[in-house]
Amino acid sequence: MFLRNYWYVAATDSEISRKPLGRIILGEPIVFFRTEDGTPVAFEDRCAHRHLPLSMGKLVGDRLQCHYHGLQYDRTGRCVRIPGQDHIPPDAKVKTYPVVERYHWLWIWMGDPALADPAEITDFHWLDDADWGAKSSYLYVKSNWQLIVDNLLDLTHLAFVHETTIGNSALAEHATVKVTRAPNNVVVTRWIIDQPAPPTFVKVGGFTANVDRWQMIDFTPPAFLRLDVGATPTGTGAPQGKRVDGITMRNLNAITPETEKTSHYFWGQAHDFDVKNAELTQKIFEQIQTAFHEDVAVFTAQQRNLDLIPDPPQIDINADTGVIQARRIIDRLHGEEQAALHATAAE
Amino acid sequence: MPEPAGWQRVAALADLADDAAFATTLGNRRIALYRLDGKVHALDDVCTHALALLSQGFIEDGAVECPLHGARFDIATGRCLSPPATVDLRTYAVRIEGDEVFVRAAE
Repeated sequence: MFLRNYWYVAATDSEISRKPLGRIILGEPIVFFRTEDGTPVAFEDRCAHRHLPLSMGKLVGDRLQCHYHGLQYDRTGRCVRIPGQDHIPPDAKVKTYPVVERYHWLWIWMGDPALADPAEITDFHWLDDADWGAKSSYLYVKSNWQLIVDNLLDLTHLAFVHETTIGNSALAEHATVKVTRAPNNVVVTRWIIDQPAPPTFVKVGGFTANVDRWQMIDFTPPAFLRLDVGATPTGTGAPQGKRVDGITMRNLNAITPETEKTSHYFWGQAHDFDVKNAELTQKIFEQIQTAFHEDVAVFTAQQRNLDLIPDPPQIDINADTGVIQARRIIDRLHGEEQAALHATAAE
Repeated sequence: MPEPAGWQRVAALADLADDAAFATTLGNRRIALYRLDGKVHALDDVCTHALALLSQGFIEDGAVECPLHGARFDIATGRCLSPPATVDLRTYAVRIEGDEVFVRAAE
């Protein structure tokens, strides 16, 4: 199940070049490249002639040439040359997709092109903001996209999956949790008061005594999770909104389904302290990356069992509140999209 | 373990808010306190469907919605308003004395 009328992250900006990049998104094969003036372009990655991925071809000026029989497509997706033939059939064209570069990512609109509005791109400015140090990356995950969304909405797992980095037992046992919801938004706020700092926080924040730690998880459909996380020395007023002598970070996640069973996972980590210190940015990034590799092992193993036993019964626990509310939003939006599609088809 | 008879202090008035339940215990029972239009209500905190804590749910239109499976209960009466739960919540008598909230254990 996919939501279509949304902007998704398709690639990092450095992945898009004069060498065509093939990538499957929401089950559709898409080829990305830059024209000679640097403009990013996205096409259906399938030649209109005999279906070879156009990403196996090469650019000739601003034309993408198929590797098989040399058909050339211009930047609008129209075939403009067929070797040995003057006449170009009217159906010799491929679908194009709206794309926008923002926050060092390339965004793609996967729905009705008439509805594509770049103003609706979810805010990830922390990745491209002089007030923050930041580094982002990409993970290929062999699991359904919603397992990744679930993971980020229930951070009790940090106590078990990430005990060497960002987790400790305080997270699962001593958090006060508040979930708020809006029609298209879920926010899970977790406070862990007067508890030891986890290993990563000690390393990058230098804490020597107990801390007040927060995790504020913002879910926006289809699969964006922006986390405001940090800690201050206990009793200095963070729960009342005063953050002093501590660290604040943003953990930023954009999940793009590849297929029902595989996902592109774009993520980044930003920090608001010592922002020009590239070594620190790298050190923080590596801590989180270690944790995320531990998550990927979990997703892959969950998917293995779901492949063996599709749609198994499951139990819900109190920590699932955010997960369940987000899934409800996704289900409702999917139902609305399907209803609109059927209404259009019936006209 | 026998439940205590009579009234028990369970919260200060300042602990209560309009948009959030206050979870506490009465003897060995988990209860939740709600403030609606200035009036305090005390109900069992455990959903009669699958044992979720309702104090972590959502308060809307005088009802609390279970955070997990969406059953709704009337805060003033404890009545179950929507599935998957079918059994009402037990309610408790509430008395306010100054800034203190007292609840009477059900017999």
